[in-house]
Amino acid sequence: MRPELGGASDVLLDRARRGDARAFEQLALEIERPLYRHAARMLGHDDAEDCVQDALLSAWKSMASFEGTSFRAWVFRIVTNRALDRLRSRKRRPELPLEPPSENDDSVSWAEPIATGPELADLAADREALLVVEDALAMIPADQRAALLLRDVEGFAYEEIATITSTEIGTVKSRIHRGRLAVRNILISRGWKGSAG
Amino acid sequence: MHPFGDLSAYLDGALSSEARASVQAHLDTCALCRTRLAELRGTARLIAALPMPVPSRSLVPRVSVPVWLAPLRTFSTFASGAAIFLFLASAVIATFPRAQSAATAGAPAPNAVSAPQASSAGGSAAPSGFQGFQVSSPSPAPAPAVADKAASSATPAASANEIGRQDSVGVPSNAAAATRENSTPEPANPFAFLLSPWLWLVLAIGFAALSFAVGRRLRST
Repeated sequence: MRPELGGASDVLLDRARRGDARAFEQLALEIERPLYRHAARMLGHDDAEDCVQDALLSAWKSMASFEGTSFRAWVFRIVTNRALDRLRSRKRRPELPLEPPSENDDSVSWAEPIATGPELADLAADREALLVVEDALAMIPADQRAALLLRDVEGFAYEEIATITSTEIGTVKSRIHRGRLAVRNILISRGWKGSAG
Repeated sequence: MHPFGDLSAYLDGALSSEARASVQAHLDTCALCRTRLAELRGTARLIAALPMPVPSRSLVPRVSVPVWLAPLRTFSTFASGAAIFLFLASAVIATFPRAQSAATAGAPAPNAVSAPQASSAGGSAAPSGFQGFQVSSPSPAPAPAVADKAASSATPAASANEIGRQDSVGVPSNAAAATRENSTPEPANPFAFLLSPWLWLVLAIGFAALSFAVGRRLRST
């Protein structure tokens, strides 16, 4: 699902840590598009470019202090935090209020299909469904959107998402489940029928 | 009890082995949970299939700078300053007539003094020096004084040279010939264009622009 940075990138990472600007530029070039994709889904296209560029510049300035092994996760953390900060300061888009947070995820309600329609499992190539999913992602809470994008689009593991979002794995699990369920419910409300199993 | 809350983690392979086995056992017997699991799987696939937006420009910051860029800016700055100085110097020089040619023409022989005297009518400086500003355009003060002499001698002369030099009578044609004779030997200077103020002005502006552009590039990193 996502391209892994191979051994050559480890060499680049080591050189970038020691101040090699060209090595950093090469690393940044490899993840530029995924970062922008993530920021665009989080913020919209208008602010995504500035967010990513600021994040990469911030990553370069603190490159010497980077001690982890996953440069990709580290930069995604910077971008996600900046995107969440911008959303908090923006506060121009009230998000769809879901049911109040519950300790038990099992209590989250599942919308029932109202009519016959395409199977949800068969909608992957359906352009109209993708548009609905795009709208749905923009409507769910930002923290759920971030966790969902990091998992389903970028392919990060739960442990990596916990590091990126500075939360516990249990919180990541809850956010991903709630986010998926919210998108699923919006799809159902637009007339899609869930799979018969 | 349906393990709805674990379905996403089950789908993502994020459950412990025991929890996974428990959910698997439940799924084997519960059609509703299988339906919910398929819906979540379909939702995840739709999210993963979203079109990838593309930035309109490169977002990689240019943090690497060519080694020669900073010295180039330094050179451009100093070159611009030097060009401004040369522009001012050449502008000052250009306001004075050719003092050198008049000085060299008057110095060699006494009997050639008449030539400068005559040529001073045409605008060359007197041997004594910087009286050229008087003769580049006819100046009123000394000119009337010498004009009387010139009227008789036909050669307006500089004050230092008119003393006892009355043998310039009827000399205009000879003086002109002498002037030509004195001026023609001087070879054309191939580097005369270096005295052009416009050349140095253009260079000053060009180097200043280069320095500014390189400075912006350095500051952008």
